[in-house]
Amino acid sequence: MIPISAVFGLGLFMFCVGVFGVLFRKNLVIMLMSLELLLNGVNIILAGVSRHLGSPRGSVFAIFVIVMAVSEAAVGFALVLSYFRKRKAYDADGLSELRG
Amino acid sequence: MITLAIFVFFGVLAAAGAVLVVVQKNAMHSVLYLALTVLATAGVFFTLQAEYLGAVQILVYGGGIVVLYIFVIIIVNLKEVLPEKRKLFPRLVLIALPALLGAEIILVVVRTRFAPPAGHERGLDLASLAEMLLKTYLVPFEIASVLLLAVLVGAIIIARRKSLHDPD
Repeated sequence: MIPISAVFGLGLFMFCVGVFGVLFRKNLVIMLMSLELLLNGVNIILAGVSRHLGSPRGSVFAIFVIVMAVSEAAVGFALVLSYFRKRKAYDADGLSELRG
Repeated sequence: MITLAIFVFFGVLAAAGAVLVVVQKNAMHSVLYLALTVLATAGVFFTLQAEYLGAVQILVYGGGIVVLYIFVIIIVNLKEVLPEKRKLFPRLVLIALPALLGAEIILVVVRTRFAPPAGHERGLDLASLAEMLLKTYLVPFEIASVLLLAVLVGAIIIARRKSLHDPD
């Protein structure tokens, strides 16, 4: 029997690593990958809670999170591609032309 | 007992892979570690009796998203390593922020008394999952399909070469 706190620990660790990657890295592609890590951590917690409560509701929510992650990856990559075509760059520092 | 051992194995793999994704300098190495993390997460789902989630994780993440990442890195030609220099103070803040967040959440989780596990596991099979997804959550399910259609059209329009108003 897996203790629920171990599941929470693993999910939170992956979430925090993802937050660190989004904040710290400047490479846009690696930032998007860290977003995937973040959502994966949430999914682990949802699956664990689903098993803990004996109800499939957590798994249903995790499926919706996966749908969201896929859409975010697709749109994010479209934006990275169009930014790369315009600027020939892929670091987040260049994305500051709307600064007032 | 053996389930716990398998859970710890896949959990350690997933955690180590996650750290390696973030600290790699080369984006292609990051993608390969992301694939490792995603597959290990699928193993974690299997040990948590969420077989459908594990299968979807392997299909969608391992087969779809990782390949998409690899294609984009090849198109963008992410060969040279970006210099990521920061001053000391922002660097410390950006390291401390997720660490503090994690410490706080772990404190809260440790202090919480979780209810004992429900015990009955008949609610975890595929049939009840499908019933809940297609009965209770039918409207969000349909909205999710509309979202996917919008993303399909939007991603094509954003990523195409010419703008819509360009006559050629």
